[in-house]
Amino acid sequence: MPNQTSPLSANQKAKVPFRGGGFQTKSLRLISPVVFICLIALWELGSKTGFISNLVLPAPSEAFEAFMQLARSGMLWTHLSASLQRLIIGWSLGSTLGIMVGLLIGLSSIARAGLSPLVSAIFPIPKIALLPLFIIWFGIGEGSKVATILFGTFFPTVIATYGGVDNVDRSLIRMGQSFGLSRSSIIRKIILPGALPAILSGCRISASIAIILLVAAEMIGAEFGIGAYILLAGSLFAPDQLIAGVAMLSIMGLCFAWLIGRAEKFFLSWR
Amino acid sequence: MDLHLEDISHTYGDITVLQNINLTIKDGEIICIVGPSGCGKSTLLRFIGGLERPDHGQVLQMGEAPKDSLNPLTYIFQDFALLPWRSVRGNISLVLEDHGIKGKKAEPIIADVLARTNLSDFANALPRQLSGGMKQRVAIARALAVRPAVMLMDEPLSALDSQTRELLMDDLMDLWQRDRFTACYVTHNLNEAVRLGHKIVVLSRRPGKIREIVEIDLPLNKRKDHAEHLAEKQAQLWSIMREEARAADKELVHA
Amino acid sequence: MFTFTRRKVTSLVLGGAITAASFAATTTLANAADKITVGALRFTSHAPSFVAFERDYFKEQGLEVEFKFFQAAQPMAVAIASGDVDFGVTAISGGLINLAQKGAIKVIGGALHEEKGIDGQMILASKKAFDAGLKSPANLKGHSYGITQAGSSFHYMAHKIAQKEGFAGSEIKVKPLQKVGAIIGALKSEQIDAWSIVPHIAKGLGKAPTVEIIGKIADYIPDYQVTTVFTSAKNAADQKELVKKFLTAFSKGADDFNTALVDKTAGDQAAEDMVKLIHKYVYTSRPYEKAAPSIRNGAMRINKGAKLNVTNVKDQLSWFQSEGLVSKDITIDMLVDDSFVETY
Repeated sequence: MPNQTSPLSANQKAKVPFRGGGFQTKSLRLISPVVFICLIALWELGSKTGFISNLVLPAPSEAFEAFMQLARSGMLWTHLSASLQRLIIGWSLGSTLGIMVGLLIGLSSIARAGLSPLVSAIFPIPKIALLPLFIIWFGIGEGSKVATILFGTFFPTVIATYGGVDNVDRSLIRMGQSFGLSRSSIIRKIILPGALPAILSGCRISASIAIILLVAAEMIGAEFGIGAYILLAGSLFAPDQLIAGVAMLSIMGLCFAWLIGRAEKFFLSWR
Repeated sequence: MDLHLEDISHTYGDITVLQNINLTIKDGEIICIVGPSGCGKSTLLRFIGGLERPDHGQVLQMGEAPKDSLNPLTYIFQDFALLPWRSVRGNISLVLEDHGIKGKKAEPIIADVLARTNLSDFANALPRQLSGGMKQRVAIARALAVRPAVMLMDEPLSALDSQTRELLMDDLMDLWQRDRFTACYVTHNLNEAVRLGHKIVVLSRRPGKIREIVEIDLPLNKRKDHAEHLAEKQAQLWSIMREEARAADKELVHA
Repeated sequence: MFTFTRRKVTSLVLGGAITAASFAATTTLANAADKITVGALRFTSHAPSFVAFERDYFKEQGLEVEFKFFQAAQPMAVAIASGDVDFGVTAISGGLINLAQKGAIKVIGGALHEEKGIDGQMILASKKAFDAGLKSPANLKGHSYGITQAGSSFHYMAHKIAQKEGFAGSEIKVKPLQKVGAIIGALKSEQIDAWSIVPHIAKGLGKAPTVEIIGKIADYIPDYQVTTVFTSAKNAADQKELVKKFLTAFSKGADDFNTALVDKTAGDQAAEDMVKLIHKYVYTSRPYEKAAPSIRNGAMRINKGAKLNVTNVKDQLSWFQSEGLVSKDITIDMLVDDSFVETY
């Protein structure tokens, strides 16, 4: 800054230096696909030149080929539909029950005192550790797979829901009471919609957890499913299939995130 | 329908907030309650409407509420308390639904209260699209929809800027002129009190007791023309409150 | 930033992908100092290595041995491929064959072997299925059968039973349950109908009210080469002396083991000593009195001189290929280096 050293006399003009900016995040839509494509291209190049050994990591084209093989064999849909069915049943049951229990904890002091420590105690237990028990409780059929996902999604939903209920503006509830609204009206028309943003962000998390648990769920006697496909690829040491399977999970995750984003747009348009 | 407050006292833990309050709110009369911060005026208002229970004393309803009143004691809150996910129409419909007034039956009532608060063009707007003044108008419209016997207003204009406050005071005055409602109006703004109150109850600092009740005989619609008289009343109120306010201010610092 | 030394990256990537927990990357290399790392599972079938270590047979060969213990065979195979472990013993699995195809590992000798007359792996049925008519492996058609993963030795055994009994392997409904513990749970709670497992576990389970022993694997795969000794392809090609030394010591350990616990020709004291030695490594969390019967029951023949039954290994390979679990292009030479031990 040239003007700093020589002080201005009264009639000299100088522009005030701009000091803002720099910390705002701009939305640069192109950057992320470009980074993604560059990484894949570098990876492919590394594999093709032998810089990255085939043993270490298969080339993206090999993983894609494994995927195409799966698609051509007609097994893709078998695996995908088996997994989706488990995910959807497990997640929706887990979320529904989670919302119900979360509301109960949020609304009733007795339920809160009784259940919330229990939830905190059980939530961090890795569900994978309970797999042997799940087999005995729910069998090796669909039951234990759905149960694994259900358990995994239930607890975060409970916590998100009662957190959401706690955060509902008390003045709105007081307003409802002052107009003589019934308890059920207050719950349906004020508390539930007020907790909805928290519930939906809980759904975002629980959907990811459901996908994470899919692999664990399909450890139990699953012949088909993306998780079973990945497990088999691991045990056969077929890294191309492994990467293809993992990529499918990640695409699944993106789809769920997109769907929940749409749901948020629809339900929370008032924000 | 009159309301009678009988010897109300209340404590929060060790702190006595209200002591021996006796007061009658007469039908068709606006009573303003003023007092320094923390004197318990909002608490008192919650007792009147039955949202909280005093430790001692009681609030009595003298006589039957009008038959057509859906919610005899109706609040208007400082923070408007509108459901952000419902439109203006939806917010008003909310308080009717529990009385079985839905759909077609609710339409005329909603249209009427929106017209009375000059909101007819905004029926489908969401709260976030409205200014503070508009939001409070919606809250007033909502209150009118249940045809209250007594309006309980908790600093309804405090969250608004001074121009908007002027406009809304005029609106309230017009509404009262058209349909003389009973109101208990809590405020810390003495100007609002002298503009809207038939009686002004001055509470002392904690524990809140009634220091004085100042009456203003001028009809509401005439008050704008008698600025000096109002200024005088306001000065009178201020002289009563000044020491209380100063002491209360210090108390808060020490608390 | 990225120094792509293959070893490190391999162990990182594979370790991350397959078994985050199992290896803390050791940096022991089979170099001139003849320091070697031997991968082992805490099973009685790995006893020859333990014996060779405890009785200094490795030292006699000038080998300094460090054990690295694994929870499962699969991560051990990967650790050998990455060079973190030099030698290991495990059943032939799809993963092992695929690693061999990638030029990472070689089978160099035989270990555990089914032999008529010695208690080998047994076929179990749940009581429920037993009562409903599953009295012999011949009735397995249409029943469910526990396996760890597709392409595991359990899978192979199920199909060999089907083959001998004259029905298609696919008519046994295999249930992949990942872990032996999970299969035990499923069998005990009668959620699967059948399973096959090493004798000491089988005998223990046979005492449970819900499990029945219905047959022997030896009747179906009489010359089953259950486990093999393997090393990295690099060791097999460049460190032939080292491999030979290891196999010599390993064989000595195997001989001691066989005479003490399999043939039982060395007398009670030797058997007792052997069980005590093995107990240092196996069932360490159980008291000796409880561990000893399991160790004795688990004793199966380890091939003398680490002889390798290539005929059976070929059969296993072709089974994996017919199941589409490994590529059809893999030859037995890719999998086995037969220059170290006698093969048949």
